[in-house]
Amino acid sequence: MRFLYSCTLLFLLLIPSYVRAQQRVVQGYVRANSNGEALIGATVAAPGISAGTITNERGYYTLSLPEGEHTLQATYVGYSSASKTIQVRQQDQQVNFILQPSANELTVVEIQASSLQQKLNDTRMSVATLSAREAKLLPALFGEVDLVKTLQLKPGIQSGGEGTSGLYVRGGGPDQNLVLLDDAVIYNASHLFGFFSVFNPDAVNKVELYKGGFPAQFGGRLSAVVDVEQNEGNSERITAQGGLGLISSRLTLDGPIVKDKGTFLVSGRRTYVDVFTRQINRLNEENKDYNPIPDYYFYDLNTRLDYTLGPKDELSLSGYYGRDFFGFEDSDFSFGFDWGNTMGNLRWRHKFSDNLYATTSASVTGYKYNINNKIDIFSFKLSSSIQDYTLKTDFDWFLKGGHSLKFGAQATRHNFTVGRLNFDSEDNSQSFSSGNKLEGSEFGVYASDDYKVNALLSFNYGLRLSGFHSDGKTHTALEPRVSAKYNLSESSSVKASYASMMQYVHLVSNSGASLPTDIWYPSTPDVAPQRSQQAALSFNKLLGKGNYLLTNEVYYKWMQNQIDFRDGANLFVNDSLENEFLFGKGRSYGTEIYLEKVKGRTTGWLGYTLSWTYRKFDSTNDLDDINDGRWFPTRYDRRYDISLVLMHRLNKCLSLTSAFVYGTGNAYSLPVARFPYQDVEGKDPTVVPIYTDRNSFRLPAYHRLDLGAVLKLKPKRGEADLTFSVYNVYNRRNPYFVYFEQVKDEENQETLKFQGKQVSLFPLIPSVTYNFKF
Amino acid sequence: MKLKRYLYFLLPLFAFLSACDMEKNIEVELPYHEPQLVIECYLEPGKPLRASILETAAYFDEPVPPLVPDAEVVITHNGNRYKLKYKPTVVKTTSRFYTHISDFIMTGKPGDIYGIEVKDGKGRKATGFTTVLATVPIDEVEWKFNDKDKAYLLTSFYDDGSTDNYYRYMTHVDSLSAGSNRDFVTSDQLTNGKRVSYGSAYDYEEGDTIIVSLYHIEKQYYQFLSSVGDAKDANGNPFAQPSKIKSSVQGGFGIFTNLAYDRKTVIIKK
Repeated sequence: MRFLYSCTLLFLLLIPSYVRAQQRVVQGYVRANSNGEALIGATVAAPGISAGTITNERGYYTLSLPEGEHTLQATYVGYSSASKTIQVRQQDQQVNFILQPSANELTVVEIQASSLQQKLNDTRMSVATLSAREAKLLPALFGEVDLVKTLQLKPGIQSGGEGTSGLYVRGGGPDQNLVLLDDAVIYNASHLFGFFSVFNPDAVNKVELYKGGFPAQFGGRLSAVVDVEQNEGNSERITAQGGLGLISSRLTLDGPIVKDKGTFLVSGRRTYVDVFTRQINRLNEENKDYNPIPDYYFYDLNTRLDYTLGPKDELSLSGYYGRDFFGFEDSDFSFGFDWGNTMGNLRWRHKFSDNLYATTSASVTGYKYNINNKIDIFSFKLSSSIQDYTLKTDFDWFLKGGHSLKFGAQATRHNFTVGRLNFDSEDNSQSFSSGNKLEGSEFGVYASDDYKVNALLSFNYGLRLSGFHSDGKTHTALEPRVSAKYNLSESSSVKASYASMMQYVHLVSNSGASLPTDIWYPSTPDVAPQRSQQAALSFNKLLGKGNYLLTNEVYYKWMQNQIDFRDGANLFVNDSLENEFLFGKGRSYGTEIYLEKVKGRTTGWLGYTLSWTYRKFDSTNDLDDINDGRWFPTRYDRRYDISLVLMHRLNKCLSLTSAFVYGTGNAYSLPVARFPYQDVEGKDPTVVPIYTDRNSFRLPAYHRLDLGAVLKLKPKRGEADLTFSVYNVYNRRNPYFVYFEQVKDEENQETLKFQGKQVSLFPLIPSVTYNFKF
Repeated sequence: MKLKRYLYFLLPLFAFLSACDMEKNIEVELPYHEPQLVIECYLEPGKPLRASILETAAYFDEPVPPLVPDAEVVITHNGNRYKLKYKPTVVKTTSRFYTHISDFIMTGKPGDIYGIEVKDGKGRKATGFTTVLATVPIDEVEWKFNDKDKAYLLTSFYDDGSTDNYYRYMTHVDSLSAGSNRDFVTSDQLTNGKRVSYGSAYDYEEGDTIIVSLYHIEKQYYQFLSSVGDAKDANGNPFAQPSKIKSSVQGGFGIFTNLAYDRKTVIIKK
């Protein structure tokens, strides 16, 4: 009976769109006064009728308003808000906003409370947003600002381990995240074995992370969409900004190419630890017992060109090139290991009418690693790569009656090189090779409607048809997506969402860490695509006169065809890699509470997550089962996760920040027993550990406090600041891993006992970074 | 020059970070572990039947030899049953330790199947089988010096392309009892039917005596050795997955196999 009542109520709510007052479309752009840059994610609201929206990646917005007089307000982080009173009459109209930067850089976090109201009213849910400006204020490991690591401070998003930039979102792994840079996929978003992300904070505008409720335009990964948008160049004048840090230096140049027509941005970053290590090696050249430290460095190059062809057409060319290099060389032996991403994306935006826009793009993106090893006349080369060619088009069509349609299509050609090995000798006495070249074609077609039924109720419903063709087999799937929002009052709303996701390319890695030796593998006749479904429900409440927003979400996610690997699997040189795959299922559920404050001198957020994440793998061969085919917690199953982030503007020149995190220790496997093993020759017995249940132990809890300060300097020209960070203020020895040691008598080498040992990674680390802009 | 001074200024910071003791002792509570039989038995043509029968121990138990005196060990072949006596013995020349021995000499030919049965007073029982393999002869052992008077070693042999083969390659310097300085297992997946060479780094000097052993091993021995290596690696490597021990015996842990190897001793000369 209650169900019938609910359906009737829903029907009645849908009817009013035909009988209520005429709605008109108001649209336009929001740009910065200083450099003409489109402000992405700026809020445009009509507070009088609780209507509002945010600008898209071009800084455009579209808002449906009833006829009559309205005051529109545009707000954006770091800029003074602007208001315009307009008369909405029979025709649709364009209203543009140019926002002035706030008087001081340190006011950047002071944004208007109306953005919280907008979040409350938005149909979207499970989205975490972070601007580069916010991230730059917060303390960072080695002073290296990292947007991805800052996202780990939000509820439902976890790190895989101390200091790493991999994102574990609602029980999914980092390989299940769709990481987009200017709409193009980045396959391995980390440097230095996962300690830094590839996103140079000077080149990036903001990042949005979807944990659930995925809009239909996104597909291809199960757990999260990390949507990173690069900055546009300054359209007014050429500027330079950069920074000198403990680990790396950055330099960004941007400016107009043709006045009011085109802009450019070029941004580079490079580490210089290798400069120190080479110096240390040189100082020890005479020391025969000295083992030289290998070379290591990474660099990034980000570029973006924007050009306005006419009133209806814009072109944008984005590029990224990044490489890590690890190497060692002497007269007999050389070892080189390099890896990185390459991306280029050309986007063409066309305006058919005031209500219809299209963005069409062609992109090339890839990731590869190469290992080159040479001993005398013998050479050994190992590499793997993935290369994508993608064509994509997306349409935005704003209709009367509160409908905003989005539809489009995408086609990607994937080329995989899996474990390509060459072993040769110069005298041709030795030569063998292995490896596979694989191909796959992926496509997606989608349509969705963001339907604002009335001021209280809105829906976003859509459908994505996705498919993958490889080796004569085509996998297809329908992926329904729906979310809904209902305002219980002016200060509270409830939201619900359901999303089905497919993943057709798979990461071959059993390390549980972001290592550079990533091998991507397609779905094939024998490797079915991964699938997940997620349902989420949220309650949102504005508190303290609208200065605080409290959000509580609960979610349940279930996953099929999850991939893991047999114990002892050979993943790097194996022409029959599929034989090493194990297929299983997963489930993750939990609740996330998020309290944020964005207005005033003190801002920040408190996040709390309670969650469970499990996997189950049972194969046809008992010897290959993981955990004997029973459910087990994943390594990143974290029962409690708490984060408290505070930013306080002391005065115009000084801002203080802090971040505290607490998390249940990672689930971990430890040997429970051992046996002595002599081997065929009569050497001393060694100890063989016996592992039983997977991840049945917990490391001690992880907690840490970081403090930071940003001191604004007053140089003769331009702007500058010093950013101080103290990582792990109370020098907590957080567990990185645990192992068991065999303690021996130093004299007779007899075993005395066995001892548990805990290894930590980072003690208290102070750092200072100098940033400039002119 | 200024930059250089700046870099030197930062060196103490790196020294500080590397000097911090980031390791500490902790207490870990482990669940109760019921000890299980561990078999280590290698049959070798021309050698007596000998085995080590031990048992597993909880990780933090006292490090005492986990002997199983009441274990009954029988090796079977062609319907014959050869019982091994409990008599802990150390072979002086190799320091090899056995718990159960017999005077019976193993005379198996390639293709023969042997079995092992172990029972004890607690009702525990473990069994296993092995098929005798043929040796694969070492074709050549060569070496080459660099300009620093160090030599690398290259051992070559021919793989039989008609069968799946697994190998264990070991080198010892001077004596077999000192522990190997190179030891790995491989399959012929990438080298099926080819002349295969195993190299080394520039580890050797003129006058070194090198004992090179090429074992032709069973798949179950290859899996056991690989899983033992993976399990040892997992204890102390945060990136490694924990690995189950793939024993070749049922009802316990360990390995029952036969040894078919070719061995060459060379003295490195210029």
